Amino acid sequence: MEILFLGGCALLLLACALPLVSLLFKLGKASHRIALFITLAGISCITTTALICFFTGADYQQLIYALTPELTFSIHLDKLAAFFVALIGFVAFCAVIYSFNYIEHGAIEKRKHVLTALLPLFILSMIMVVAADNMFALLFFWEIMSISSFFLVMYDREKAETQKAGIFYFVMTQLSTFFLFIAFLLVYRYTGTFDIEATDALPQAVKSFAFIALFIGFGTKAGLIPFHKWLPYAHSASPSNISALMSGVMLKIAIYGLCRFTFDVLQPELWWGFVLLVFGTVSAVLGVIYALKEHDLKKLLAYHSIENIGIIVVGLGLYVIFNHYGLQTPANLSLVGALFHTLNHAIFKSLLFMTAGSVVQATGTRNIEEMGGLVKKMPVTAVLFLIGSCAISALPPLNGFASEIMIFLSYLGAFELDNPVIEIVMVIGLAAFALMSALAATCFVKAFGIVFLAKPRSKEAGKAMEAPPGMLVGPAILALTCIVLGVFSFQIIKAVGYELPVPDMLPVSILLLLITAIFVGLLKLFRVPVRIGETWGCGIQKQTPAMEYTATGFSEPIVTIFKLIYRTKKTNEKEYFDPAKSITKHTKAKIATFQFFEERVYMPLANLFMKSAAFISEKHNKDLETFILYAFITVVLLLVAAGLWL
Amino acid sequence: MIDTIIFSDIIHGLFVLILGTAALIITQRSLSSLFNIYAVQSFILAVMAIVLFIENGTLNLLFIALLTLAVKTIFIPLFLHRVLKRMPVKRDLQFSFLSPASSIIISTILLFVVYLFFTNIAGEVFNDSLILLGGVIGISLILMGMMVIFSRKRVITKTIGYLTMENGVLLFSLFMAEMPFIIEFLIVIDLLMILVLSAVLAFGIDSSLEEFHKKLNRLGIWVED
Repeated sequence: MEILFLGGCALLLLACALPLVSLLFKLGKASHRIALFITLAGISCITTTALICFFTGADYQQLIYALTPELTFSIHLDKLAAFFVALIGFVAFCAVIYSFNYIEHGAIEKRKHVLTALLPLFILSMIMVVAADNMFALLFFWEIMSISSFFLVMYDREKAETQKAGIFYFVMTQLSTFFLFIAFLLVYRYTGTFDIEATDALPQAVKSFAFIALFIGFGTKAGLIPFHKWLPYAHSASPSNISALMSGVMLKIAIYGLCRFTFDVLQPELWWGFVLLVFGTVSAVLGVIYALKEHDLKKLLAYHSIENIGIIVVGLGLYVIFNHYGLQTPANLSLVGALFHTLNHAIFKSLLFMTAGSVVQATGTRNIEEMGGLVKKMPVTAVLFLIGSCAISALPPLNGFASEIMIFLSYLGAFELDNPVIEIVMVIGLAAFALMSALAATCFVKAFGIVFLAKPRSKEAGKAMEAPPGMLVGPAILALTCIVLGVFSFQIIKAVGYELPVPDMLPVSILLLLITAIFVGLLKLFRVPVRIGETWGCGIQKQTPAMEYTATGFSEPIVTIFKLIYRTKKTNEKEYFDPAKSITKHTKAKIATFQFFEERVYMPLANLFMKSAAFISEKHNKDLETFILYAFITVVLLLVAAGLWL
Repeated sequence: MIDTIIFSDIIHGLFVLILGTAALIITQRSLSSLFNIYAVQSFILAVMAIVLFIENGTLNLLFIALLTLAVKTIFIPLFLHRVLKRMPVKRDLQFSFLSPASSIIISTILLFVVYLFFTNIAGEVFNDSLILLGGVIGISLILMGMMVIFSRKRVITKTIGYLTMENGVLLFSLFMAEMPFIIEFLIVIDLLMILVLSAVLAFGIDSSLEEFHKKLNRLGIWVED
């Protein structure tokens, strides 16, 4: 096990070094391929180790390097860590397969080398964060993860959009590290050790404080609203294989941290559960509402990541609440549901990001309004995207449904509680949850419909080609997993060792398959003659793609319903030729969404910092008199202080 | 040897005179009388050193007295007067942050603060109230010198501020901590350097540091808008 795990790490490091060496000696493209193959081998080794640990329940512990007796890099794979390592490994495996062809797409040779080098480093750092045995190692690899992903986000660094994303990402990720630092130092201050298990020895009041710091730290990385703003920017700006990894895996690492610290180590209090529940519900609902409005394909997916992280956090919150009241069945249901959804989201979100990446690469745009008709040009990608869409919309029998139903079922456990206030809160949460599920389905009807159906809306979309095989195989594995995890969810959960009242999807899927087969068969049997002709266009001679249903049109009713949240500003300016305002010169119409969090939360905070910095820098830049005045005031204050306290 | 009571009376009288000259330095607008007041203040310090020498008999004090007399009461004021003759301005009317009246009020408050501070931290160590008072007035003189530096605009007046600060240090060292003679000597050399430098600045850049600051800005060290 030791050889397997450490060998895997070594292979990943080798894969990281290889492109850098070839960058120095100007070796060709072959080095990319070799590096990616080595990465695949390394990931396979580590994933195998994790799977062995997960299924046999073996505890794998290993000291790698001791900086000082106190600060050590050591790893520990227990069941929870092994689960997350396996998840990272699996998704990363598919993402690397996808990268074989994707990386060649880039224009600048140098950057391809850097991308190939950083990819294994990023994967390795994510694995090590989860495997880390103490807080020092965790924070160390956490920072490596942040920095390597920052450079990956900055791949297209010339674009203004990427620069904005980079700044947002960097600041927010540092903020999250800062809060983790606070929590860890707090633990160290009280226990004198960096052991994760030692966190439990904190006094109760300090535990709550540590929880808040950990929640903000991990919540920022997970993209919970209101710490989410970096997520849509960074995910849309980075290369698609990286977005798949970031959204699919990196967010889950924050979930791992939350699980590890709040449930495994600390004894959660009731109000922690409500904090998780409220933030989770808000993220889930607002995430999907923002996604509906989004017409940038990758941003849309990024907002769905926020939504799904919200679902997972709701599951964790429910676990805390039910556990507090001693309701074991709903508690286990929600925890297993949350972890299962973590796995499922990692799989279908990276699948969606990869297929979206193929689409973006084929059409050269991220705006879905300029796509369309791709189902004929890229049929395999379309099917894969459809499977991902169905999974994320929680349609049975796919995996998204399997995990969301667990959280729904555990919600129903609320009726066993005898506290009416909590019951009401839970029912409101349940309603919001149901709303979120419906809206998610709506959103993916829009995404799939506008991107793949109808006729191409732009020249580029008309010229799109099917993605190369590597970019199909990676997502295809994930799509297959989506189906398997959905159909056999009951059996899998049983095999892992949980007896939970979840519906068995196998008969359902067989039934569904049968119905479909019968339906198709009947259609074939009683075939009605079909006449193919032009759609009636109200008498217009030739119809153009511009007359198609648009994404804006599709989401308009929902935008109107949630006007309060979007705060859409519609401006319509007209100029006239004559004073009587009868002949229009030209018209300008604009629909803009009010970016609540950016304009009301982030920017004011940033401006506050800028202003205080400007204030201080203005005080720095003064003439001699003022400097001496400062010195004078300081001396006098020191005198007064000394007089008072010495 | 002088009677102890007379000795302490003399020292007290000299303290009052020093405070008076310090107040005049803060408020005086005419440059030439400012130099004269500085000369008087330095002279009082020299006298004080001689009185202490007669009381203690430490030869160091005599040297300090002679040095102060030669450099601070004669040479520096003479030099300043000669600089003044070539300067277009004879009076310093510009004040920043503090007007002369408020400077006086603040320095009075400071005197109390410093006194409280000293009695608090050093009251038990120095039983002799004379030594304590010497330290208090020395520190206050340093602070008043600082006030002169930041509240006056002309470079030449600022120089007087620095010189007053040094007088405060000298007064402090006379009573509280005996400085070796060599350090006192080096400080005097520093004073002369300050004088030369400020004369250069005063002539080169029209006797006000503000313009010097602007020139720095133009060099792009920092652009204010």
